[in-house]
Amino acid sequence: MLIFKNALKKIKNQLGRFISLVFIVALGSAFFAGVRETSSDMIKTLDEYYDETNLMDFRIVSTMGLTDDDLNALKELDNSYIVEENYSYETVIDGNATKIYGLTDNINNITLIDGTVPQNNNECLVMEGSYNIGDTITIEDSNYTDYLSTNTFKVTGIVRSSMYIYKNFGISTVSDGKLDNVIYIPKDTFTLDYYTEIYLIAKDSQEATSYEDDYSETIASLLSELERLAPIQETKRYEQIKTEAMEKVYDAREKLDKTKKENEKKLADALATLNSAQQEINNGYNEIEAGFNELENNRISIEQEFATQEATLNNSLNTINTTLTSLGIPTTSINDSLNALNTQVTNIKNILNTLDPTSEEYAYYNNILTNLNTLITNLNEINNGFNSLSEGRTTWNNTYNETLNTLNENKATLDESQITLNNSFNKYNENYALFQDEINKGLQEIANAEAEIATLEKPEWYLFDREDNSGYTTFLESATKIDSIAAVFPIFFIAVAFLMCLNTMTRMIEEERTEIGIFTSLGISKYKIILSYAFYVLLATSLGIIIGLSIGYTVIPRVLYNVYTNAFILPNLKTYANIPVCITIIEVCLLTMSLVTIYAVNRNFKYAPATLLRPVSPKNGRKVLLEKINFIWKHISFTWKVTFRNLFRYKKRIIMTLIGISGCTALLLTGFGIRDSISKILDTQFKEIQTYDSMLILNEEITSPSSEINNYLQNEDIKNPLYTHMETLTFRTDNKTIDCYALGFETTEIDEYFHLTDTNNNPLTLSDNGAIVTEKIADLLDVSIGDNITLRDSNNEIYIVKIAGISKNYINNYIYMSKEYYDIAFGDITYNTIITNIDNKGDTLLNSNYFSNIQYTEDSISMLQDIIDSMNSIVFLIIGFSSFLAITVLYNLTTINISERLREIATLKVLGFNDKEISMYVYRETIILTIIGIFIGIFFGLALNYFVLTVAETDELIFIKDINYLSYIYTILIMIIFTIIVQIITSFILKKINMIDSLKSVE
Amino acid sequence: MAFIEVKNLSKIYQMGEVKIKAIENVSFSIDEGELVVILGPSGAGKTTILNILGGMDSPTSGKIIIDGTDISKYNRKELTKYRRYDIGFVFQFYNLVGNLTALENVELANQICKNPRDSKETLKSVGLGDRTDHFPAQLSGGEQQRVSIARALAKNPKILLCDEPTGALDSKTGKMIIELLQDTCHQTKTTTIIITHNAIIAEIADKIIRVKNGTIESTLVNKNPKPVKEIDW
Repeated sequence: MLIFKNALKKIKNQLGRFISLVFIVALGSAFFAGVRETSSDMIKTLDEYYDETNLMDFRIVSTMGLTDDDLNALKELDNSYIVEENYSYETVIDGNATKIYGLTDNINNITLIDGTVPQNNNECLVMEGSYNIGDTITIEDSNYTDYLSTNTFKVTGIVRSSMYIYKNFGISTVSDGKLDNVIYIPKDTFTLDYYTEIYLIAKDSQEATSYEDDYSETIASLLSELERLAPIQETKRYEQIKTEAMEKVYDAREKLDKTKKENEKKLADALATLNSAQQEINNGYNEIEAGFNELENNRISIEQEFATQEATLNNSLNTINTTLTSLGIPTTSINDSLNALNTQVTNIKNILNTLDPTSEEYAYYNNILTNLNTLITNLNEINNGFNSLSEGRTTWNNTYNETLNTLNENKATLDESQITLNNSFNKYNENYALFQDEINKGLQEIANAEAEIATLEKPEWYLFDREDNSGYTTFLESATKIDSIAAVFPIFFIAVAFLMCLNTMTRMIEEERTEIGIFTSLGISKYKIILSYAFYVLLATSLGIIIGLSIGYTVIPRVLYNVYTNAFILPNLKTYANIPVCITIIEVCLLTMSLVTIYAVNRNFKYAPATLLRPVSPKNGRKVLLEKINFIWKHISFTWKVTFRNLFRYKKRIIMTLIGISGCTALLLTGFGIRDSISKILDTQFKEIQTYDSMLILNEEITSPSSEINNYLQNEDIKNPLYTHMETLTFRTDNKTIDCYALGFETTEIDEYFHLTDTNNNPLTLSDNGAIVTEKIADLLDVSIGDNITLRDSNNEIYIVKIAGISKNYINNYIYMSKEYYDIAFGDITYNTIITNIDNKGDTLLNSNYFSNIQYTEDSISMLQDIIDSMNSIVFLIIGFSSFLAITVLYNLTTINISERLREIATLKVLGFNDKEISMYVYRETIILTIIGIFIGIFFGLALNYFVLTVAETDELIFIKDINYLSYIYTILIMIIFTIIVQIITSFILKKINMIDSLKSVE
Repeated sequence: MAFIEVKNLSKIYQMGEVKIKAIENVSFSIDEGELVVILGPSGAGKTTILNILGGMDSPTSGKIIIDGTDISKYNRKELTKYRRYDIGFVFQFYNLVGNLTALENVELANQICKNPRDSKETLKSVGLGDRTDHFPAQLSGGEQQRVSIARALAKNPKILLCDEPTGALDSKTGKMIIELLQDTCHQTKTTTIIITHNAIIAEIADKIIRVKNGTIESTLVNKNPKPVKEIDW
């Protein structure tokens, strides 16, 4: 009990020493545990996040889409645990390349941060920082109908997704190739008849820790199953598509044949009908022609007959007329003749009446009369003959005309029919031609389809795992980066802490050798004495560890997480106490401390108690090296000589002090240096290298600068538009795919916006025989001027670019090309961007319909500024911890220095040294050590700063590793202030030293 | 008036509730250049007297008039000045700065006073002229004590205070030291006060002050101090 009381008394008496011991252990273990734990906390937090959201292990995408058959086959795999299908569609919305996903139920679940889940097909969820709840999103691309049932969505909620934890979403197949946004809509809004992707979670994969080896081991069996299944399903799908296509061809052919047959018959029938109609018409014509001929023939024969009758009549008439003439009867006309004859007859009759019928005269007259009557009869006959002839003629003419009319009418009818028929023929011909065309077309189609089937490529399954997700891998990289920093800083801290403790303890025990002597001489066992000191040490160490670990496991990981994950969208960090590490730290600390204590105490047991009761003889003085250089030594004042002597007297202490001071200086300088460097890159990048204030994204790509736009811009007072082709490309290093921006310019005169210089600050100009690439690209690919680099676009198309220059650059990766070289390397240039300075005219420009979007340099700056601001917290962490360490180390060392030389100082006091002189006697050493320490520390700091910044560099960032003069001044000032503070504290200790006590202690 | 006048000097240490009277009502006087031995057994209070005389401690009551000045009411700063300019100290365990050579140890003292003696000369005078560059650890106990004396003398002090200067030495060496002190006292006329429990040493003194239980038992003026050579212990 007494032993513990004694230890507690020691604590009370020299509280400062105890507290500093606790502090050092706390600082060391806090930093050691905290920084080391951070990456594992991060990974655990993320692993939990992945498990909670059921992040897929695999994603399958096929060149021909995926089917229910694929889905079922995947579900049946031995090692698949959850399988879910989904749809996605990429399009440009508000100038941003946007990927639209269906909302899944079981895999890749999103986390709702705000708002509600969509209730219908016109609602959607968005990622943080894009749209607000209540906004309406409209897809402008009219092709949306191929994929979706609607194109307007109301935002109902904000989400984050474990699929997209990195703010850089990766590349896209639309727009400038950079995916800007992701939105989620109900799955049934998609109208596709195939799935665009299927997600899988492997059995037991959630029990494994993501990023660890056991994870990749766990998913390996599913991977091999998938690899085996892929060709089978690919073939199936191929066969299916082929069969479907062939069936279609077959159907088409059949249909064609049927159509052909049907139409051919129809056409033939039609043709037959037409032909018979023609025949009829022809017959009609023939009949009419026969009618005409007959009529003509009849007319000729009848007219001949009439002519014959007339001739006969005329002959008879002529004969009679001759007679008549002879009789003196006029023959001008038959009627005249008849009249004359009748007159004659009458006359004769009259005569006869007068005459005796028997008279000769009578007979004569009778004879004449008979002759006359005969003549009349004949004449009448002739006349009748003429009359009937005339009648016959009239009748004939009538008949003829009638017949002719009838015939003509019939002919006209026929002509009409013929015209109609001709039309029908024309129509028939047309139809026939159409039919032929159709047949040909059908045949061509079938031929094409067949050709397609013949060249049908097998669908290909693309198998993606988590490693293909840039967020997933970049996160690990960040975590590993912390680990590599963790490898230096904490060890540094713990080493300093350990050395300090060691020093304190050995010193304390040395101081108390008298007490040990007394205890031993009193017969108290070694064991108990050791226990007393061990109790003291273990109490300090335990307290320190408890404080250290509780700070280390909570504060430090959070600070680092917030800094490193600024570019990520993540859940809050869950901090864990790593029990094995805790135990190791506790074990190592307690064990080493105990060992040191036991060793230090035990060392004293070698001596007889009597010896122990005497003070340890002071260390022998020795001449320092400097004394050998006589001319210098001679000129050094006495007090400084003493200082130099003392400096080199306790080499252990010098080394410890130098390590402590230089270490703290280095840490401080690194802290400031990191801050300098990150704030400097912004200025250099955006005020010296790239001096445009915005990029105007053109509505459509154009092949040459547009005078219309130029005029417009001129009216808006915007000068010197630089037409540019901008595209996001990727390049690959050993195991990573890294983004870069390819810029092709209309002119090589880009000085207004780009000040490209090589690493020695010589200006670079664009040429026709190669591209200027930025430093980081050359570094990552380990290439130099004249080499070729391989770039890929989002379609995996490969381009080879020759390096003509390497330019200084700090943020992002760029490839600059002249139009001429762009044409060579990528094919004919089209411009999609105008680089210029627009001041505040953005809104006006966006209303002009020339531009779909404007990218402001200011936005990039403020985004980076956020990262820098958060980096400041790590800087403050380093500065804070280093400051604590610096003060503790300085205090500790000074107090040890004083306690070691208590007698000496007391002697000086007795000799009449005043307080100031005594302080200076001690301080001079501290001042020199501080100066040397700071000096060494600055060199360490430069190296450490370089190391830390190199480690902290990402694939898109280069840090400027220069440190501002002001930072040196701050560092030095802080160290000086700390030294002064510590000296002020120690000056009180010095004042308190009682000369009598210190001198009589050995009486 | 005597060079040192101590009147009714008392020193009471307050140890919690208990008051310990280290010395009580001590009075004596010492003339300039005198070699005085304060003799007494351990715990008699002689060191307390020396501490107060040496300006390392202040009395609870009483007066100490040194060369006409009362130092009993001196504050910290004045006491430091007093030690600095007027007192030379020789310790039982020498208290040399181990990191400084013999010469430097002497220089350490004389660089802070107004009118120092030459360090080398002083060392020569204590018989260490050939060991100036040695470090304490390289010197024997007697040599170290001589350095200590040289350091005290180099300050050219008004009073040389020696606290058991032979306590850690064998008798032969002790005698040499006492002889040195006697010689320097006589030669330099420096008032020298030696504290010892060794009655034999007292024989060489000009004045012997016996202390017992915190009070002065007797003050004896030795008319015929013995030369050191004649004493033995």
